[in-house]
This record gives sequence, C-alpha cells and structure tokens, in this order.
Amino acid sequence: MEIVKSGVRDQLDVLRLREQFPVLSREVHGKPLVYLDNAATAQRPLAVIEAMDRFYREYNANVHRGVHQLSVEASEAFEASREAVRRLLNANSEREIVFTRGTTEAINLVANSFLRPNLRPGDEILVSHMEHHSNIVPWQILCEQTGAVLKVMPINQRGELMLDEVESMISERTRLIGIVHVSNALGTVNPVAELCALAKRHEVPVLVDGAQATPHEKVDVQALGCDFYALSAHKMYGPTGIGALWGREELLEAMPPWQGGGEMISRVSFEGSTWNELPHKFEAGTPNIAGAIGLGAAVKWLEDVGVARIAEHEAKLLEYATERMLEVDGLTIIGQAANKGPVVSFTLDGVHPNDLGTIIDHHGVAIRTGHHCAMPVMQFFGVPATARVSFACYNLRAEIDVFLDALEKARTMLT
Amino acid sequence: MVLDQLYQQTILEHNRNPRNYGKLAGATHAARGHDALCGDDILVELIVENGCILEAAFSGEACAVTKASASMLTEWLTGREASDIAAWSDQFHALLKDCTLPDTPELADLNQLRAVSRFPARVRNALLPWTTTLRALQKP
Repeated sequence: MEIVKSGVRDQLDVLRLREQFPVLSREVHGKPLVYLDNAATAQRPLAVIEAMDRFYREYNANVHRGVHQLSVEASEAFEASREAVRRLLNANSEREIVFTRGTTEAINLVANSFLRPNLRPGDEILVSHMEHHSNIVPWQILCEQTGAVLKVMPINQRGELMLDEVESMISERTRLIGIVHVSNALGTVNPVAELCALAKRHEVPVLVDGAQATPHEKVDVQALGCDFYALSAHKMYGPTGIGALWGREELLEAMPPWQGGGEMISRVSFEGSTWNELPHKFEAGTPNIAGAIGLGAAVKWLEDVGVARIAEHEAKLLEYATERMLEVDGLTIIGQAANKGPVVSFTLDGVHPNDLGTIIDHHGVAIRTGHHCAMPVMQFFGVPATARVSFACYNLRAEIDVFLDALEKARTMLT
Repeated sequence: MVLDQLYQQTILEHNRNPRNYGKLAGATHAARGHDALCGDDILVELIVENGCILEAAFSGEACAVTKASASMLTEWLTGREASDIAAWSDQFHALLKDCTLPDTPELADLNQLRAVSRFPARVRNALLPWTTTLRALQKP
C-alpha cells in the first residue's frame, strides 16, 4: 500500500493514512475530532468497512453448510480470515485458531474447557496485579466453583511485573499463569517471553491476553513460548464482536467442547454425539461471519501498512506526549514502566477525571476516564480513577497539542 | 457554550466549597455511594429524629457534578420529612430526564443541576447523592 509510505526513511505518511478512516474527518461539538481513546477501541479503515459491506452485498450466506456458490464464497472468505490470524500470530496451523466474540470470550473458553475439568480444591492460578477484569473474573468464578485459589503476581510502583517474585509463587499446585501482554490501564509491556520460559521450567501453561498488543507490535506466539493467546479485532482496526483464541494444538485437541450446537459436531444421535475436528469443535452455532471477514481485512491492512512502521510512529507520539505531560503542573503519570505501549494514564490535581473527560470532549478530544476495567490496579496506585490517552497509527503530534491545550482549559475552569 | 451551563458558577462554587462536607458526629443513618465506573465514592450521613432530617453531611472523593449535587442536597435536606424524600428524588430524576419541564421551585438550587440532561453520561453523577441518601434512610 504505497500511499501510506512517505518518501522519507520509509515512515508512515500519517496524513494520507488518515484519509482511510472516514470517522476522523468529523467534528465533535463543533471542533475537529481528536480521537485518543484507541485502547478502548480503534477506528476502522475503509478496507475493513468495505470488506464487511461487500460480504453483505455480494455473497452473504452461511458458512460450511451449503453446496451453493454463495456459501462456498462465504466459507472461503471466512477461512481465509482464519489463515490471516494464523499469519498475524505466526501460529503453526489454522487448526489452532478459534474464532470467539473477543478476548474475554477466549479467556472464558480456556477457563471452562481447559482448566475446569481438571481443577481441584487447593489448585492455584496466577495472574498479575495489572490484569484487565477479563483476565481476573473468569478465574475468580472458576475458583469459587472448584475451591481453587487465585494468587496475584506483584507489580512495582512503576507498574512493572516483579518477575523475580514469580518463581517463588509457582508451586506444584499451579495450574495456569494468566498475563496481559500490554496493560490497557498502564501501558506496560510485560516480559512475556521471560515469564513463559520460567513457567515452562515448572511445566505451567501460560495464557496471554493480547488485546492491546496486536495493533502495536508483531506478535509471534512460537517465539513467546506461551500456550494460549487471546485477541480482539476491534483493538486492531477490525470490527467489534469478533476475536480469536490461539492455543497449542495438542492442548486444544485434548480439551472438551465448550458450547454445544451446530457446526461443532461430527455426528449426533440420541445415544451420543462426536465432535468436529479443530478448530470447529469450539465454534458452536453460526459464527460472526461478517466480523471474521472484517478481522481478516484488518490483519491484511496491518500487514500492508506494516506493524513495525506503526510501532515506530506510536513510540514517537508516546515519547512526545510523556515529555509534554510531565511538564504539566500537578499532573501525575500512572504507570511509568521502562517498556510501554502507546498509553498514558494520568491524574491531574484538583480535577476529577470525570470532569476532565467531559470538558475536553467539548474541545473535540475523546479520552477515557474511569477505572479502565482494571480496578485492582487503580487500588494499587491508590486512585479511584484515572484519565487515559492512547494512540494509534493515525494520531498526530498536533493532536497531542490540542489535548494539552484542552487540559489547561479544564484546569482553569475547575480550579 | 453548553459546557458553561454544566460548569456554571453555582456548581463550580459548590465544588470548590462544598457545604456540609465532612463526617457527621452522632449520625443516625448513613450509606456509602460508590460509582466504580467513574471513581465517585461518597458517604452520606444523616441525623433523623421523629421522622425529620435534622442534619445531613457527606464526605469522600467525587467529581464536580457529584460534589455539587451532594452539597446542594445536604443543604436542602435539612428540616425535611424523611418519608417525603423518595417522592422528591423521583421528581428530581424526572427533571433531569426531561428538559422541557419547568423548574420545581421547592427544589431551589438543585434545579441548576438540570444542565446535566444535556450530558447523558453525567446524569448518574447528579443522582448518586440522592440514591445514597435513600439507601441511608432505608437502614437506620
């Protein structure tokens, strides 16, 4: 996709890339939209919108069912998207890619199909203190029902995982480690490969919540050495309501189905049923076909633009924003890990995040305020809520300036 | 602009200098109001005697809208019949939902919070002190 490369040093031509995102040209409260809530959900490029539109207009049909032409085309596009996700993660086989509603459902699938059947009272599950609720609550529910115990891997004041503490927490009862790849609340990029190596020495499987990682870095599940990897399309320029679980084939093979219904069976009779092969065993019912096609288009779009180029651009935005924000009186950045994704969580003395969010929205700036679905991490830092800016490939330095101006106006108004 | 209607002088002034802010010695009724999503966390305390609210106070951390609402409400509650508050709360809620209704004079300054009707995401903040007060009254 030549149009997004500028002539200089193979950098992103961000202004031309922005033209691919229709929503970015709108105004909010009479001001140009400055969208800095990308960690909540990114915007969609035309490539994704049009791929989904084309499905509905030209070959809408159910998948893996009919012999007719439309169903064949829909099935091919659906499976091509699975192959795209396999490439995205550098997985061994498409059999290892299960479509889900998103990261949350992928984690719940692992909780219920992988862990639940073998979990005994006193068994242990480890998660970090910086997890999103989606990587806490499924395990809590499981622990309540089975008598297993959820243990918390500590973080330091900069918001980094204290890896040195983890080894002593692993026991012969540890059944799984759950870790967020990139924290949505703090931006911390966790040392997942090191953690997986450590876990492997103790033969403990690792599930990685990759929701915030896939749009910002090249993920290689084989290099990471994890056992499960969960992602959501809408964080990486794809549609909502679709995501994927990658799991090692031998683990998925041994797991019982999670939900029963059509598609996931091989043969059904009232005497008993047998299960379809991977990955269909885990995909009961008519799937989100348009969503999967949109996810495939998003992966293709990321490949065309280049995740490495995006990462380089976002790292510069993060550096600039951090530098400027540290100059703001009374502003505290929550989460100052050495290795961060393009996320800055912060508090501003005398201004509640809620009021800040409302006021700067009226300057056209969209940010997230609140607990970011990570209440334990808010408790760790002793704040009820934070405000958060998060960047994507289409953001500009000038937008960070607009945000900082709006921040000053909010402060003037409220203090 | 619309923003100035929400963050008008009266509301900003109540946010900066909230009335009845702090713990209430001898409270007969209390409840905590927590809005995890926004981070608001307040405690409403009341002294009720013979069905009459003699004193009201609030404490905790909250945004400007919640704080101003709690500040105005605790002033307004003083001297009111406890049994009337649920009906007043419904009336206040109705005013926030429908900006075509005329102000309710008996609610005094609280009418000024009606600007939140233009900010649907913030209505919950204006209501939190009311729902907290109702829960406090339910459990002595």
